[in-house]
Amino acid sequence: MKITFDTQTLELTPSGSGKSYRVGIGDRTVDVEIIHAESGKLDLLIDGQRVTAYVSSDGARRWVTVNGQTFVLTKSSDAKRRGAGHDHASELAAPMPGQVRGVNVSEGDVVTKGQTLLVLEAMKMEIRIQAPRDGVIKKLFVNQGQTVEREQILVEIEES
Amino acid sequence: MFKKILVANRGEIAIRIMRACKELGIKTIAVYSDADKNSLHVKYADEAIRIGDSSPKESYLNSDVLIRAALDSKADAIHPGYGFLSENASFAGMVASAKLTFIGPSADSIRAMGDKAESKMAMKKAGVSTVPGAEGLESEDDFKKAAKEIGYPVLVKAAAGGGGKGMRVVNEENELSEAIESARREALNAFGDERLLIEKYLPNAHHIEFQVFGDQHGHLVHLFERECSVQRRHQKIIEETPSPLLTPELRVQMGEAAIKAARAVGYYNAGTVEFIFDPILSSLRRGSGQAFFFLEMNTRLQVEHPITELTTDLDLVQWQIRVSAGEHFPYQQEQLTQHGHAIECRIYAEDPSNGFLPSTGKLLQYIEPRGPGIRVDSGFTAGDEVTHFYDPLLAKLIVHAEDRKTAIQRMQAALREFVVHGVVTNIDFMQSVLAHEDFANGKVSTRWVEKTLESDSLLSNMREQAPALQSLIAAALADLTIVNRQSEIVNRNESDPYSPWKSPSGFRIGQ
Repeated sequence: MKITFDTQTLELTPSGSGKSYRVGIGDRTVDVEIIHAESGKLDLLIDGQRVTAYVSSDGARRWVTVNGQTFVLTKSSDAKRRGAGHDHASELAAPMPGQVRGVNVSEGDVVTKGQTLLVLEAMKMEIRIQAPRDGVIKKLFVNQGQTVEREQILVEIEES
Repeated sequence: MFKKILVANRGEIAIRIMRACKELGIKTIAVYSDADKNSLHVKYADEAIRIGDSSPKESYLNSDVLIRAALDSKADAIHPGYGFLSENASFAGMVASAKLTFIGPSADSIRAMGDKAESKMAMKKAGVSTVPGAEGLESEDDFKKAAKEIGYPVLVKAAAGGGGKGMRVVNEENELSEAIESARREALNAFGDERLLIEKYLPNAHHIEFQVFGDQHGHLVHLFERECSVQRRHQKIIEETPSPLLTPELRVQMGEAAIKAARAVGYYNAGTVEFIFDPILSSLRRGSGQAFFFLEMNTRLQVEHPITELTTDLDLVQWQIRVSAGEHFPYQQEQLTQHGHAIECRIYAEDPSNGFLPSTGKLLQYIEPRGPGIRVDSGFTAGDEVTHFYDPLLAKLIVHAEDRKTAIQRMQAALREFVVHGVVTNIDFMQSVLAHEDFANGKVSTRWVEKTLESDSLLSNMREQAPALQSLIAAALADLTIVNRQSEIVNRNESDPYSPWKSPSGFRIGQ
């Protein structure tokens, strides 16, 4: 059985009783035994080393804590990953969820690198969205007062 | 003593205050906004009252509604916690006018210290040294002139401010105009007051503050210092006491200055006098003059009060309540000592690799560390939603041990046992700070995080290779076992004729 997280594919093969697996990652092979499994928590023996892992799932995302470090992994489906094609426009996304406090530009405006385009506010903190380079505002996706989610596209800039 | 106290706050501090009330046999009333309807502080209280919409202005900053809630529920006193209305003099005045007790200093003390411009003038008069700067400026030209006189870099900050809000570092004149504008807007939004002041920015400064405590009979002491130099965005993230920088002589000098500052405004209850301390200046000026400057006084309980509690054995919140009820504070300065070393890490829902911006979401897992010398003051539990309406503080992890080295080790072990899933936290980042040699050597100044992130690989060092591989394996096996367990349940049911799952009689769990 194959499972892919981010760019890493793991191949799991049951070995011995139902509690042991042989796990292949890249050119490595690791023997793993499940000592105990309960909701959100696994006690494992990985190559003879005892590991307690906390695992939560949230859609395709997996939150995993091992030895005090927390990792956020994304499980891939078989569908092809979205191509990273680039045209001459670039989109700026909200770095955090919050509210649009100010819109300083309109569509068609010529902007210079570092210019403040929008002001976001969340948790009483103010974040200025600045132009990453010189260009023209191709499209504005938000209005003043609007609530936005993290990663929501705010504005699109086109090379002038 | 009071019979019922309304806690005009939310999250961990509301719970902290209610805990002290319960210990003293006082009934507690929580208030909540719509976003906090199911919060821990609401469940912990004896009674809970809805005060409005999720936006702070409509709820935790709404004085009229809070006072009406206190009167309707027959409370005798209001504890404001920190933030929100805790340093709002007119709120303290309104509470008194409503014949309720405000647990904190007098409205006059809050007013005198709350205005950073006026407090600086009062401190100069009282003989406490202050950071070079200018107050009472209006036009942009005034600011320009003052900044030139002081010399860049300068700090523009809200006269009514606190907690790093409404504050901007300005490195050169062409940044001044936008800094003033955005600091004004943030100040207006956070404090309802847009006045700003300007002062010299000291980039190598340490932030060292002194806890003061007084009763209403004129007795005032200090409860030693807290070193709060590990900051990001001008907000503290790690605090400790004692400060690794202070000599016994400096401690005495700064403690006396703190008391002088508090006495100048007739202070009582818990308060904190913040100083900027420059260790380089200090070694140059040894024996001649001071290397510490009054920064501001926080006229309320501080977020980081627990480290003082652990090293002095005093319960500051209980004493706040007791002196507000008129009791005498019984300890003289000579009787007070520090024991061992305490450190606090503020666990924030924020992403250090994304500019420390807040992270919101539902807490899928939330497991706090336990053990000797470990204290967790928290306002969340698994299943809770972390929203964008409020400060992203999830919990305060505080440790106490016999000395600094053992306290750091205890904190590192405790952080390893802290599990938070569903929002990104700064736990891994805290580990990399604690493991850094600059922290071990007490060389962390207030700009250290910013500087180290730029020049050093503090963030890329955060990850070790082995746990990354182990985490992938664990995630894969978790997916596998969940699938397997579901099929196991189905199989077992098939072979169990008495299983309620199989019964056709309509039996349901929970009926």
